[in-house]
Amino acid sequence: MSILEYNGVGMVAMVGKECVAIAADRRLGIQAQTISTDFQKIFRMNDKLYVGLPGLATDVLSVSAQLRYHLNLFQLKENRDMKPKAFMNMVCIELYKNRFGPYFVEPVVAGLDPKTNEPFIAGMDLIGCPMEADDFIVGGTCTEQLYGMCESLWKPDMEPDDLFETISQALLNAVDRDALSGWGCVVHVIEKDKVTTRTLKARMD
Amino acid sequence: MQEYQPVSYQRWSPYSMNGGTILAIAGEDFSVVASDTRLSESYQIFTRDLPKTYQLSDKIVLASCGFHGDVLKVTSAVKERMKMYEYEHHRKMSCEAVAQYMSTMLYYRRFFPYYAYNIIAGLDKEGKGAVYSFDVVGSYERETFRAGGTAASMLQPLLDNQIGMKNQSNMEEMPLSKEKAISLVQDVFTSAAERDIYTGDGLKISIISAAGTEVKDIPLRRD
Repeated sequence: MSILEYNGVGMVAMVGKECVAIAADRRLGIQAQTISTDFQKIFRMNDKLYVGLPGLATDVLSVSAQLRYHLNLFQLKENRDMKPKAFMNMVCIELYKNRFGPYFVEPVVAGLDPKTNEPFIAGMDLIGCPMEADDFIVGGTCTEQLYGMCESLWKPDMEPDDLFETISQALLNAVDRDALSGWGCVVHVIEKDKVTTRTLKARMD
Repeated sequence: MQEYQPVSYQRWSPYSMNGGTILAIAGEDFSVVASDTRLSESYQIFTRDLPKTYQLSDKIVLASCGFHGDVLKVTSAVKERMKMYEYEHHRKMSCEAVAQYMSTMLYYRRFFPYYAYNIIAGLDKEGKGAVYSFDVVGSYERETFRAGGTAASMLQPLLDNQIGMKNQSNMEEMPLSKEKAISLVQDVFTSAAERDIYTGDGLKISIISAAGTEVKDIPLRRD
């Protein structure tokens, strides 16, 4: 049993046409027992930048607070919004600082460039090896199921509504085949002028 | 103070994992069963042309993957038993009976199992498509669709969504056509070959209907 599979999570980010979407389930468990069905795993850094943290719940809380601290400090010092790619690099550096005693989270970053609104998604492992993608990034305990769903359902240049449907179906069906994730899903669709957050009706088991 | 060393042994294992993915879908009056054609062990490919589907009779196909040594034994044992049944009863073994026999045969080896994941596809006594899936020790169930092997967890959710209509609230339940089933199989295997290192090289699809069994060979990624 891996420590990354202790609490259970399913998370996915996808790129669309001038938009990105990031979605996660809502379960918090202690191995087989479900503790909470509304545990937040995706955190808003700013209007166009969201970070998802799949992994050990205690580290989800610690790392999200730490990232918010660093981002806020950057924004105060430089008086501008951080680019998603720069944010990703910052997360990588923070994770690698704990190379031999890591935080057990494998973050997923999703956002739009503050000036050009170019979509950006990236994932990384627990010690900060980044992976950028132009299609989708998956994370959590049901990555295999998510890879299967995303590989079949994703296509380039999807409009926000279409992207929402695609990412929802990918996540819902993948978490239904994983005992440790599920109990509802949250989806954020980030466009250049708004963010739409929806909670999905799902199998509650 | 005593030195405390964790105890670990290098042990020889009678099993090895030869990879591969299998899939079967039951339609109204047909069954589709497919497998990739790669045989591998860890990062090495042994051959690109070994389908994992075995024709047991003209309307029953067994798909089996896992440890190839046990796959060979399982398939030959079932074929042997089917022959004996035919000599004794003067008729072919039905799909249901083959599935029941497979379960019994696998459970005989409960304490040293055949490391093979099996799926039997065929037509039942009424001519409807039938798919039976097994675990390594013979627990079995008749289902509409099932994926097995290394990329099973990648394929199964998509089948739930597209055939089982799961998580789709406004879709009408339509009977699955042969063409849709075959195109779905091709799509899922192409996706699996992208992300699973043990799946690829080729895809063999067997379509079982009242007319007999038709076979299709399609190339997959070879990397």
